Amino acid sequence: MKVLIVEDNIDLARNIQEFLQHEGYVCELSASCNEAQEKLISFQYDCVVLDLMLPDGSGLTLLENIKAQKLKCNVLITSAKNSLDDKIDGLDKGADDYLTKPFHLSELNARLKAIYRRNALGGDNSVRFNEIVLNTDSLEASVNDTHLDLTKKEFDLLLYFLINKNRILTRQSLAEHLWGDYTDNLANFDFVYQHVKNLRKKIAAAHGRDYIGTVYGIGYKFDTSLS
Amino acid sequence: MKLINRLTLWYLAITTFVLLASGLIVFYRVQAEIENEVKTRLKRDIDHAAQLITDGLSIDSVRGNQLDVQELDFNASLIPLQVTDSMGFYSLYRRALDRKFTVASSYKIQGKHYYISAYNFIAEPDEILEGIIASLAVTLLILLLFVAVTSRQMSKQILSNFNRTLKTIQGFNLKQNNRIKLANTRTYEFKELNQFLEKMTNKALDDYRSLKEFSENASHELQTPLAIIRGKLELLLETRIDEKQASLIEGIQNAVQKLSAVNQSLILLTKLENQEYPVKEKLNFSRFVKDEIESFRELIEMKSLSLTTNLDPEVYLDLNPVLADILFTNLLSNAIRHNSMNGSIDVSMSSSGLSVKNTGDAPKVDTHELFKRFKKDKQSSESTGLGLAIVKQICDLNNFKVEYEYVRGNHELNIHFLPKK
Repeated sequence: MKVLIVEDNIDLARNIQEFLQHEGYVCELSASCNEAQEKLISFQYDCVVLDLMLPDGSGLTLLENIKAQKLKCNVLITSAKNSLDDKIDGLDKGADDYLTKPFHLSELNARLKAIYRRNALGGDNSVRFNEIVLNTDSLEASVNDTHLDLTKKEFDLLLYFLINKNRILTRQSLAEHLWGDYTDNLANFDFVYQHVKNLRKKIAAAHGRDYIGTVYGIGYKFDTSLS
Repeated sequence: MKLINRLTLWYLAITTFVLLASGLIVFYRVQAEIENEVKTRLKRDIDHAAQLITDGLSIDSVRGNQLDVQELDFNASLIPLQVTDSMGFYSLYRRALDRKFTVASSYKIQGKHYYISAYNFIAEPDEILEGIIASLAVTLLILLLFVAVTSRQMSKQILSNFNRTLKTIQGFNLKQNNRIKLANTRTYEFKELNQFLEKMTNKALDDYRSLKEFSENASHELQTPLAIIRGKLELLLETRIDEKQASLIEGIQNAVQKLSAVNQSLILLTKLENQEYPVKEKLNFSRFVKDEIESFRELIEMKSLSLTTNLDPEVYLDLNPVLADILFTNLLSNAIRHNSMNGSIDVSMSSSGLSVKNTGDAPKVDTHELFKRFKKDKQSSESTGLGLAIVKQICDLNNFKVEYEYVRGNHELNIHFLPKK
């Protein structure tokens, strides 16, 4: 996947770039609307990570241009402005998703993959790894063709693990992924522990391998080299 | 007490005192004048009688009404002028007593000795006093009436500018950023007051604005570095690290997370103050609350809490949906977090208000204090200490009344939906 990161803060952009490069993405950076506009004309990108507040204008203008020129790239807006109007405005203008800063890089990764999955040619709605298969449309999961009876949260969790394979996912980032904004007020990671425990139990019951391991007691990792 | 009433009371007290004093003075002066006058007149009468006798009139013809002449022994010594003040019958028929003033003296005329006395009745002191009191009472009454009638009008006239200033100042609100404009006045004191008030409110507005700008900017400027730190820590986790380093990173991450939560809450509070959340349409708050409860059901079950709800299905509010979300999420997550294991939560709502009750330990500080920013029951706790401040702010903004009480082991948060002003 080829991603254009439009972000005027170079440190933030580098963070995203470095993280996504581990996924095997090709990432390019633009620090302004104009720069991004030129790149979009010259090259083709699968996805644009778009900051709304740019030195030479609003990211929304760039979004309008992308849609006007019928460029085939998906747009994910990132903004520090946690305003509903911005969000609605952005989505109305054709953005595929909206992420409020500050966000976990693993969350950004999951969102990008989800967009890609939805919009990629053929609309592949399945995510698989070895014996595990997830259908993101029907929210069904199976291990070795055995159906897993997962709750919505457990499904989300497993999907999140599969998308962020071999990465340490802290309890914080898992909690935020599962409960969004509510975690601000519910900094209780027992919930995460419960869900992970149940998920592992259900996978084990279907004779799946236990890829999910705890890491130094700070989080979890879907380790593809395990077992 | 109103200024005009106070002034009137003072005026009346002073007037009463002055009237009393002047009454006394009048009484003594009148008394003295009358006595003097009568004395002088009677003396002239007896002198005149003596003159008549000298001129050769008989004593019988001189003797008359209220004048008596008697012959004395020639050798008796002369009686000097005598004044007696006594009571006597002024009318024999009606036998009415009155104050009788008698002046007497003896004269030696043409070898004879005459004792001449004259008297007159004058008003008694208590009669004079009565008259004075009566006239003063009437005066006081007239004054009272006059003051009562004119004082309202006068105060309206004189204090009209002051009242207008007062009204303007009462309507002044720092947050609305409207400079006050006070009417011109010719009264020196009011002019000075108005000038001072205008200067002071303008200064307050300027200070408030710069303070707000500062905190807004500070919060926004903090967001980006915080996001960078978070990203770098995530990347650092991906590198080759040992357990000790991992736990250090987690410590930093938690602190950064909290910092960013506090910061976002502060930004939210600023936005609330700036009234950046307009109400566009009526919100079906019943459905809203129901959906929110559903999204929390899992968390509630995980903490083994029992939930009872009693929701009126037809509650519509003029409330911005973002604020509704923040408001109810804050209340419910507080009810979950500050609950005891196997405790209970009760959510009930009617068209007049919303009430969230939950079991939990008694708060150690006054419950009203918890609406203040950064006020927490347990200072070490994970919360930002801004949740209830935000709830309060949202309620204030929408003219809701919010109360927090701890009753019989239950935390009770009640919000009354009052009609918009």
